[in-house]
Amino acid sequence: MSKNADKVKITVGFEDHLKEISVKINDNDVLPYQPTDSFDEVGQDRDRLDAIAKVTGAARYTFDRKLDGMVYGRILRSPHPHAKVLSIDSTVAKKMPGVKAIIEFHEVFRTRAVRYVGEGVAAVAAETEAQAEAAIRALKVDYEVLPFAVTKEDAMAEGAPAVASPNSSNVIAPRAWGRSEKEQQAHLEDQKAETDEAFAEVKHVVSGNFSTQVQVHNALETHGVVCHWQGENLKIYASTQGTFSCRGQATSSRGPIKARNARVLSEYVGGGFGAKFGLRREGVAAAILAKKAKRPVHLMLNRREEQTDAGNRPDSYQELKLGLDSKGRIQVMRAHSWGTAGPGRSGAGARNSIIYNIPKIDKVEYNVRTNCGEARAMRAPGFPQGAFALESLLDMAADEVGIDPVELRKRNDSHPIRLAEYDMGAKMIGWRKNRNRNPGGGKGAIKRGLGCASNEWFAAGGRGAACLIRVNKNGHVEVRSGGQDIGTGLRTIMAQVAAEELGLGISDIETFIGDTNDPRCPGSGGSTTTPSLMPAVRIAAHRMAQELLTLVAEKLKWDIEKLTFKKGAVVRKDDKKLKKTVTFKQVCALIEGEVLEINEKRLANYGGFSSTNSGVQFADVEVDTQTGVVRVKRMVAVQDSGVILNTKTAESQVRGAIIQGVSYALFENRVMDRQKGHMLNADLENYKIAGALECPEIEVKLLNVFNGKNNTSSMGIGEPPIIATAGAIANAVANAIGVRVMSIPITPKKVLEALKNKGKRK
Amino acid sequence: MSRDNKATEETQGVTRRGFLKGASFAAAAVGTGSLLPPPQTASSQNEEEVLILGTEETKIALTINGENISTEASPSTTLLDLIRGPLDLTGSKRVCDRGSCGACTVLVDGKPICSCSYLALDAQGKNIQTVEGLMVGDKLSPLQNSFVSCDALQCGFCTPGMLMSCTALLEKNPNPNREEIAKGISGNLCRCGTYQNIFEAVHKAATGGGK
Ligand code: FES
Ligand code: FES
Repeated sequence: MSKNADKVKITVGFEDHLKEISVKINDNDVLPYQPTDSFDEVGQDRDRLDAIAKVTGAARYTFDRKLDGMVYGRILRSPHPHAKVLSIDSTVAKKMPGVKAIIEFHEVFRTRAVRYVGEGVAAVAAETEAQAEAAIRALKVDYEVLPFAVTKEDAMAEGAPAVASPNSSNVIAPRAWGRSEKEQQAHLEDQKAETDEAFAEVKHVVSGNFSTQVQVHNALETHGVVCHWQGENLKIYASTQGTFSCRGQATSSRGPIKARNARVLSEYVGGGFGAKFGLRREGVAAAILAKKAKRPVHLMLNRREEQTDAGNRPDSYQELKLGLDSKGRIQVMRAHSWGTAGPGRSGAGARNSIIYNIPKIDKVEYNVRTNCGEARAMRAPGFPQGAFALESLLDMAADEVGIDPVELRKRNDSHPIRLAEYDMGAKMIGWRKNRNRNPGGGKGAIKRGLGCASNEWFAAGGRGAACLIRVNKNGHVEVRSGGQDIGTGLRTIMAQVAAEELGLGISDIETFIGDTNDPRCPGSGGSTTTPSLMPAVRIAAHRMAQELLTLVAEKLKWDIEKLTFKKGAVVRKDDKKLKKTVTFKQVCALIEGEVLEINEKRLANYGGFSSTNSGVQFADVEVDTQTGVVRVKRMVAVQDSGVILNTKTAESQVRGAIIQGVSYALFENRVMDRQKGHMLNADLENYKIAGALECPEIEVKLLNVFNGKNNTSSMGIGEPPIIATAGAIANAVANAIGVRVMSIPITPKKVLEALKNKGKRK
Repeated sequence: MSRDNKATEETQGVTRRGFLKGASFAAAAVGTGSLLPPPQTASSQNEEEVLILGTEETKIALTINGENISTEASPSTTLLDLIRGPLDLTGSKRVCDRGSCGACTVLVDGKPICSCSYLALDAQGKNIQTVEGLMVGDKLSPLQNSFVSCDALQCGFCTPGMLMSCTALLEKNPNPNREEIAKGISGNLCRCGTYQNIFEAVHKAATGGGK
């Protein structure tokens, strides 16, 4: 960045909330999209470019790959929730038909411990899937079986067996942020004392204990890879959310694979939802089996493995308390939570303190180790569970204070975008008219209710992405980046952003993704793929346009400052006519050599309008008080995600998140056998996912916010909309039946129990 | 019950070898899916040899997407594994392998079935249609077109199965309402959450908008 670059004024904001700010534009960068810009491609409704491959069956996913000489890998898994592998006898398996290689995990991963049922122990590669399956069954493992704890309660009980190792505690202390143990102790005590004081002073106090279940990602394409060694180099087809992290892992000198170079290919990925980062053990096993077998190895998990060994959203138990003044303004909050992370220490915290303005907070999160499959990031990790509890408690507070729940939220929220969204959403759902004024009352078994909840996310993206654009002399344009599309429509928006700069249509552009031979793109986590990559695409396309315009300006002695591309030809920016029509193709013919290439990196973020994106959701439900069945009839979502690059695919993301949220609120639940540590519903009929019959009518309003954070002003939208859904539904259920279900999933049984207890309490 | 479970169950009750002695292999295959070991002399566990009958590759003739095909497969092969494997039609997916998700849906004589739970041998002489056979000449079918324009797919992994169920539905009921569409695809799971887009796509195709 040059030191004396001048600041420029840009307009940021949305609808009638626009303002001017001055920013110092990065060298090389283009001004962020402005509300006054006119667009031909960006922000339009465009069909996904890969839709045709997907509706014809032509799209080849990792699971569909077949290479010459390819063999199949299968993993033998522990039947014990906690054990030590003493030895593995593979004498019989080795001699079985078709078997090409066998590996023992303790040799590869340097640990003999298995800490949950389903953790891998050994793997086999054989000519057919059936032969591999037969061979793993013939492996004889000698285990030292160890005591275990499957639930939080068991793991926290006095004298509970150590879940992970004898020298690690089952309950992981909250993050100390650099404080010593003593300082941390004092800090927590101070925090408690301070909030106790505040609670003593407020007018209203509400509290509640909430719990949420373990949710399993269950992408339809399971985790897995096809590994193919070419000399010392490794080619990996992977079903992944991070092509480059897989490449890094395969080539790391500290990892077990140690390829000289690796190329990771993910042309199509059958869903991810947060669980598919890195090669994981199955990927590493496949690479090593392939080396041993000297054959390409196809290793994809089956459904049971996907449910038990490929991550999940942790459960939570949350003790919440709010103190409010007489006007319903929150003064203080206490939120203590416990969540199971599996045997590891990954974050099982319930996030619930970021949306509303709360002056004093006593927040403590405990992760509790259990002998169950490991938690991994799942679509807005920590937030849906936190929001379910806090949004429920906010409605309880509104009752206590005696004001409308939406009004209560508005009094405690200062985000300019969300403040507008509350009103828009309330209007769309008919909040005033349709809210149940007599919860649980009235005639008939079916009760209707409305509920509201909000979300916040941080999807402004950041550096680390690059884009390569190549234009042939014949006018063919290719746009390349090595990232992956897990179902969001990445190819399509890349083409839209590039097309806009080059004055072309998206069908004039070929996009390539999912290949680490192309420029780097970060993993698809935190909803950052779009805001991280699109600015790079735009700079590259912009510079390409400038180079091409230079060719024509020099040739025809035109003033390049006045030129731009529009609708396939060179035009003047001021709309005046040029003496001569020059098409994009004609300009490309001026390219010296065969091809013009530009490779550009994404630059740092600007201050912009808002670093977070926000949304509000409303649920309209019907509850059958005789059967306890909850039906979500309608969901309304107002969502901000910066400048929306493709309205069609962005709206699909919101709809999909809402359906997953409905599923989380009402159905999904990992059921563990506490005695044996087995997951009892590791399939798709007993692990219930919302189907078409449970899909509500969904109405989405996408707010177009010129946030000015980057040159495309775009943000990510995959995660934020799932945060609010369960909370909105829980509030709607309470509004319908006049009593609250404090835990999700809100099953018929829980509804009936709540109704029964309601009678008692009164 | 998944294979892993099955294995424990079998070793607890009857051993698999004992079970195979008493029952025909084909019967065992129906229960346990397509990954059972192919014909072998089962001498792995101890020295005794067991002769397993009926596991030789058998000729199967069927029509797939209008083409007459004659191929060979062992009797335990599912229709899904046959079309994905030797026939290399990988549009149909294996997601649960036990009839609960619909990702493997194909049409057998016009009826949607889960090809993961249907033996290839039972398709003998039948007319099979897979997602690869939906195009009309080199044009997308109206339903495929409306799936594209209504964005009725995200990751696309459930899409082939969805298209087959919707094709069958429209055949039976050319103008279904939202609820009828939902029922028609109630056996197909989509983890990305495309149901509402699918309702719109089917409606569009039914009302002539998918052309
Ligand atoms: S794979 Fe056949 S129904 Fe799921
Ligand atoms: S589109 Fe991904 S599962 Fe349906």
